[in-house]
Amino acid sequence: MAQFIVSGLTTGSIYALIALGFCIIHNATGIVNFTQVDFVSLGGLMMYTFLLGMGLPLVLAFAVAVLVVAGVGALVERFAIRPAKSRAVIILIFITIGVSILMRGTFKILWGKNQMALPHFSSESPLIIFRAAVLPQSLWILSITLIVVILLHLFFTRTRVGKAMRATSFNSRAAALMGVNVNRMIQFSFALSGALGAVAGIIIVPITTLSYDIGVMLGLKGFAAAVLGGYGNSVGAVIGGLTLGVLESLGAGMISSAYKDVIAFTILVAVLFVKPSGILGYGEKERV
Amino acid sequence: MAGRFARSNTMLGLAALAAAIVLFPILIPNPYYLNVANIIGLNTIIVVGLNLLIGFAGQISLGHAAFYGLGAYFSGILTVTYQVSPWLAMAIAVAVTAAVALLIGIPTLKLHGHYLVMATLGFNLIVNIVIVQWDQLTGGPSGFPGIPSLSVGQWAFDSDMKMYFLIWSVAFIAILVALNLVASRAGRGLRALHGSEVAAACLGVRIKSYKVKVFILSAVYASLAGSLHAHYLGFISPKTFDVFFSIELVTMVIVGGMGSIWGVLFGTSFLTSLPNVLHFFDEYKDIFYGLIFVLILIFLPEGVVVALRNKVLAKRESRQRRGSEAEAEEAVQPAVAAIEPSHGSGDIGGRTRRLAAEPILGIRDLHMSFGGLTALAKVSFEVPTGSVTALIGPNGAGKTTMINLISGIYRPYGGTIRFRQNQITGLRPYRLAEMGLTRTFQNVQIFDNMTVLENVMVGMHAGTHNEFFRSMFRLPGFKKEEDLIEQKAWEMLTFFSLEDKAHAPAASLSFGQQKRLEMARALVPSPSIVLLDEPVAGLNMTESLAIASLIDRMRSQGVSVLLVEHDMNLVMGVSDRVVVLNYGRKIAEGTPQEVQEDKQVQSAYLGSVA
Repeated sequence: MAQFIVSGLTTGSIYALIALGFCIIHNATGIVNFTQVDFVSLGGLMMYTFLLGMGLPLVLAFAVAVLVVAGVGALVERFAIRPAKSRAVIILIFITIGVSILMRGTFKILWGKNQMALPHFSSESPLIIFRAAVLPQSLWILSITLIVVILLHLFFTRTRVGKAMRATSFNSRAAALMGVNVNRMIQFSFALSGALGAVAGIIIVPITTLSYDIGVMLGLKGFAAAVLGGYGNSVGAVIGGLTLGVLESLGAGMISSAYKDVIAFTILVAVLFVKPSGILGYGEKERV
Repeated sequence: MAGRFARSNTMLGLAALAAAIVLFPILIPNPYYLNVANIIGLNTIIVVGLNLLIGFAGQISLGHAAFYGLGAYFSGILTVTYQVSPWLAMAIAVAVTAAVALLIGIPTLKLHGHYLVMATLGFNLIVNIVIVQWDQLTGGPSGFPGIPSLSVGQWAFDSDMKMYFLIWSVAFIAILVALNLVASRAGRGLRALHGSEVAAACLGVRIKSYKVKVFILSAVYASLAGSLHAHYLGFISPKTFDVFFSIELVTMVIVGGMGSIWGVLFGTSFLTSLPNVLHFFDEYKDIFYGLIFVLILIFLPEGVVVALRNKVLAKRESRQRRGSEAEAEEAVQPAVAAIEPSHGSGDIGGRTRRLAAEPILGIRDLHMSFGGLTALAKVSFEVPTGSVTALIGPNGAGKTTMINLISGIYRPYGGTIRFRQNQITGLRPYRLAEMGLTRTFQNVQIFDNMTVLENVMVGMHAGTHNEFFRSMFRLPGFKKEEDLIEQKAWEMLTFFSLEDKAHAPAASLSFGQQKRLEMARALVPSPSIVLLDEPVAGLNMTESLAIASLIDRMRSQGVSVLLVEHDMNLVMGVSDRVVVLNYGRKIAEGTPQEVQEDKQVQSAYLGSVA
């Protein structure tokens, strides 16, 4: 039992980080950004290149990989979202799907189709905590996620840019009138989501494997977590991620691991049917 | 008439399609291309259905590959494992898929936007995983082989060529049925709910039921294609039916042009053959595919076919405009065309003005609050039959809330609403529309995605009966009702001097015209009462005067009016009775004269002089 909860929290943290990425872009633009999925893959792939390919030290490789993916996020905004002639949400969403196909195609060529592996950050021998065997990497994942969430909170509440980003998400026109460069903020939110996706990819890959499309399933679960928590709500994203992770892990352990994903999505669909706006979402009332 | 013109265009398109279907295998007898054409045909069937859901009803599904898969696997398993005849299996597959779509659709279509996307995507993932895991039944990840060909007696559809004609016949019928549906009362209802759910509901469109029906229809299309796929290839595997294929299907809808049946043909052919064309780019083909896809969406977001069509139309229009530059400015004064209110509710037929003893609308102790804020506190008043009754009050007095309660958009926390003899408290808007109560909106809710004429035709939704099935197959009685709807809509357009805009997109009208269009739409079903929410707000003097005379004429034709308005000239000039609200309470009621002299009213509007 404790074992399942620990592994659930570990993957749940990853879902939470990815869900946060989805939320930030949603709040800035109102769209679902499916390239989030590839930010996760790219994080892992870049880490592989910098750490094993170029032999950079762990911390440096980590930092550079995150920065590169953040840059890619900014480029996606600049060259695919900003020039779009239509502002319709569905068109923008499908542009991100197209870019996602493009990115995966590129990754496949650059890194090949083979499975790769990254070393754990520290020792690989499990520690025994509360009768559960816990990998040190799990502890890394949990603590890095916690740090990221705290930093993100401070960023949004304490810094000028963070506040401007929040203002943009509440009312972009009013923010623009107050002198906020809205386009810059949207670009920034893509970069930030890229960074979050990259962190998620980098820290999870040592306990899974690495491939050019490793982020797809993780990313879809992250999307599910965001929806579960109430789309666009960052506290909801974290709660949604952890809930999904734990329930999935318990379900897999107690029912069947073959149906792990079925369990995750069934829970999601069930929650939506009961509370269509997610755990922390507010019902939207149409104004007439 | 341009309607007829459009119809002949459609016939021309269908004839061209039929010719292309017949000629293709004769001109290009290459088996490889025939195979691609068959896949395009299968995809066309799914995408035509999906376009009804996405392009017309505005509901996005990322789960249609699952319905495709259900069709294929039911056909495969039933024919191979259970020895059921293929045609029967196909029918069972359709029935089961429709049932699944119903079960999924009822809760799912309540969801909006991203939640709907997620729920359908989740459904697709679940179906896919079940297919992979339940390998005793489905063959698991390695697929399900040995599915027999379809046959009629001894004659089997056992070659690419034979299947080509079968698949494309089905695709042709699928397109025909979809075109029929789109150009019908039911189709207009779907597009209306895409444009504005609230307005559609207030005109009698059963929003929930329509969404579920079109969802089921699109699932049935996918299931049929799935069965054909299984019998054509003889082998099915779960990979074909995963979420990525669902995404690809939606892409085909978007690239062709949402809401264009002909666009579907392009989008499907283009995107299905693209990977084959890009084949010689080998490992770079994903990159090219993504790139082309992104470029189309960035630069031609309305879809390739729709973009081309708009370009042609714009050119034609500018040519026409040059011809008739001298045409006079549009007359603001409505034409004095006699219009007979008939049909629908019996007691409004051409009756002269007379305030009957029985009120048409009786509000008693109506109570409503939002959060902790009381919007209406036990308000009671009546609208005498055949009168124009005005509801006035400062901003925030609760006037629009009152209209929303009466028209069934909100449910009151307490109190009752009577409409003629009936208790209508808490009834859904579409029921009220069917009973003869319609409304307009403070911030206009016209259907931007439809023409002016079509907007008014949606107004006839309540009280008419052409539903999905009768529309899709043009069953007896369809034409008669459709003609009646169109004729009434034209009469109403003439009454509101909008007839020369009939085929213009509603979004292209000026604000004043949009307000008139909304009134036309509310009046076309011959309601017994119309609720007008600020009909002259934002209009200039001449336009307001025109509206005033229209209200006057509605009354003279026996339509009762409940009017919410800030323009006191209009209110005092046109109303028989005035009810004044302030902070959710009724503070005065009486003739315009009485109300103007009321001390409380004066202080509410001007501040107390004490």
